[in-house]
Amino acid sequence: MIEIKDLHKSYHMGSNSLHVLKGINFSVKEGELVAIMGSSGSGKSTLLNILGMLDNLDEGEYLLDGVTIKNLNETKAANYRNKFLGFIFQSFNLINYKSAWENVALPLYYQGVNRKLRKERAIKHLESVGLGPWVDHLPSELSGGQKQRVAIARALAAEPKVMLADEPTGALDSKTSHEVMDLIQKINDEGKTILVVTHEDDIAHMCKRIVHLKDGVIVEDKVVDQVRVTPYVQ
Amino acid sequence: MFSRDLWSEIFHSIKSNKLRTFLTGFSVAWGIFILVLLLASVDGMKNGFTKQFNDDATNSIFIYPGSTTKPYGGFEAGRRIQFDNEDLDFIKQSFTGYLEYITPRFSKSVTANFGKETGTYSIRGVNPDHQIIERTVVEKGRYINENDIQNTLKVVVIGKVIADELFKDVDPVGQNIILNKLSYKVIGIFSDDGNEREERNMYTPVSTLQRLYGNTRNIDQIALTYNPEFNFAEAINFSDNIEVALKRRLIIDPEDQGALYFNNYAEQFSNVSNFTTMLSVISIGIGMLILIAGIVGIGNILVFIIKERTKEIGVRKALGAKPFDVIKLVLLESVFITSISGLIGMLFAMAVVALISPIIDAPAFSNPSVDNVTIITATIVLVVAGVLAGLIPAMKAASVKPIVALRAD
Ligand SMILES: Nc1ncnc2c1ncn2[C@@H]1O[C@H](COP(=O)(O)OP(=O)(O)OP(=O)(O)O)[C@@H](O)[C@H]1O
Ligand SMILES: [Mg+2]
Repeated sequence: MIEIKDLHKSYHMGSNSLHVLKGINFSVKEGELVAIMGSSGSGKSTLLNILGMLDNLDEGEYLLDGVTIKNLNETKAANYRNKFLGFIFQSFNLINYKSAWENVALPLYYQGVNRKLRKERAIKHLESVGLGPWVDHLPSELSGGQKQRVAIARALAAEPKVMLADEPTGALDSKTSHEVMDLIQKINDEGKTILVVTHEDDIAHMCKRIVHLKDGVIVEDKVVDQVRVTPYVQ
Repeated sequence: MFSRDLWSEIFHSIKSNKLRTFLTGFSVAWGIFILVLLLASVDGMKNGFTKQFNDDATNSIFIYPGSTTKPYGGFEAGRRIQFDNEDLDFIKQSFTGYLEYITPRFSKSVTANFGKETGTYSIRGVNPDHQIIERTVVEKGRYINENDIQNTLKVVVIGKVIADELFKDVDPVGQNIILNKLSYKVIGIFSDDGNEREERNMYTPVSTLQRLYGNTRNIDQIALTYNPEFNFAEAINFSDNIEVALKRRLIIDPEDQGALYFNNYAEQFSNVSNFTTMLSVISIGIGMLILIAGIVGIGNILVFIIKERTKEIGVRKALGAKPFDVIKLVLLESVFITSISGLIGMLFAMAVVALISPIIDAPAFSNPSVDNVTIITATIVLVVAGVLAGLIPAMKAASVKPIVALRAD
């Protein structure tokens, strides 16, 4: 699904340049659930941004579902993002003046799906993340965990091939973190490929594979026994 | 492009920024308000000027004789020129097709009596054509006709002022009026848009007046109108041609400036038109300048909004918004705000104009109004202004990199 060969990325700030990714080789097959770990500043987000076509790579090769991703113009990149990728952010990044279902429907809007169908599908996805009663609520009326679930529903809405999550539980307490991870596991169970950037060991172990970044290279890449989230007894 | 979704996006954005939308809109509304008022004022001046000219047909030429200033053809300088009926017939025959109406004017001052009332007025001997050239409005009865001319009838059409002064409550039409001891029959009463002084005149067949005053064939003036299709240059050219022909006929040096006077309304009218056109241009210029301030204001605020919405735009892009989607959003919002507020400004200005227009009717400023051209122009200007104002912010928005959305704040 994802194939990266000898990926390099530097940031230039004035005369300084910062070599962030120094030759990453890495591939992800369909249906994997991969955790990307590493200390702060090790380049996790940078890697994820490049995978998400939000940033350009300097050197190396990137194949997404067999398509070479290089020097795409903005419009094309937007199309690929819309078709292939779903994003989940640490800070949710919901649009605050849109209701839950309108947020979820946004990727469909950019696909040109008509309003009625959009609403139907958005509600279906919100129900699948357990937010059926909240479809008309604004983000400000939702808890952090609920917001992240709206974001997950939004990432699912366009039925992407790959979901990219940058510290999806970073802003949540452990109970809601587990709820979110439970959801991510279930989505993965249905066959979706998911990459999760995280700091936390226990979150990483809820995935099926852990990749360790350090100083811009992969220092460890291991398959782990997935810890299933134990549902909290309410 | 104008889907319901796009509109709801725009409304969302406006609703969540009410104050700023109001402030932005106000600057545009103000600009258009001033622009429309200025244009209406120019229109008012134009009306004022035109009205003053409306006294007579705007395609008219008045020819007066003077005295020669140069010796020519055996005559010494200082000879008084006198027109007669043959001169008029000459013009009529020489310029058929170019002429529309033509009339002589032969004027006398008369003492008029009706009952005990008496007054001094001017009487003009004219042809029926005179009515059209002078734009005389017959209020009651009729004007001079061909039959009156043929039979040199002693009939008069009197101005409203004379009717009021001499006849008081009596209906003048059908009454006899004594003019310099001769009795005339009043056949009509006229009014004149131009001025009240005009209404102190009376008209009688030129043939009658010539017969009664020494059986002469002399006339004082010739008034005519030319083909109304003539443009300014053609009108001037036509009047030059008459001048040349008349000078040849009356043996006047072609260079003599004093022997004949031509009063061509086209010339004066064109001067006024040029003047008011210039005023229009100036006021459009001023209006535009004010509007530019509005545009810059909107642009400025939109740039600020874009900055505020950077994250949102980044998220939209991450979700698949193409640069054009973003440009569309910003531009349409800008055009929408400018159009609506401009429309409001325009309506206010039109309301103000509608309120004051009937009150104001001074000689140089009369019934200002807003014409369709102004409205259409203003609308186009507004849409263009909206696009211009939104353009830079829209480009800025389109260039937002989606990574910014991924960065934790
Ligand atoms: N746009 C940028 N311009 C310049 N430097 C950047 C940019 N983005 C990231 N960096 C730098 O690149 C390095 C890697 O950043 P990155 O965000 O990938 O780290 P990270 O592993 O996600 O860290 P964290 O766990 O804190 O999120 C950091 O030193 C950061 O300062
Ligand atoms: Mg990071």
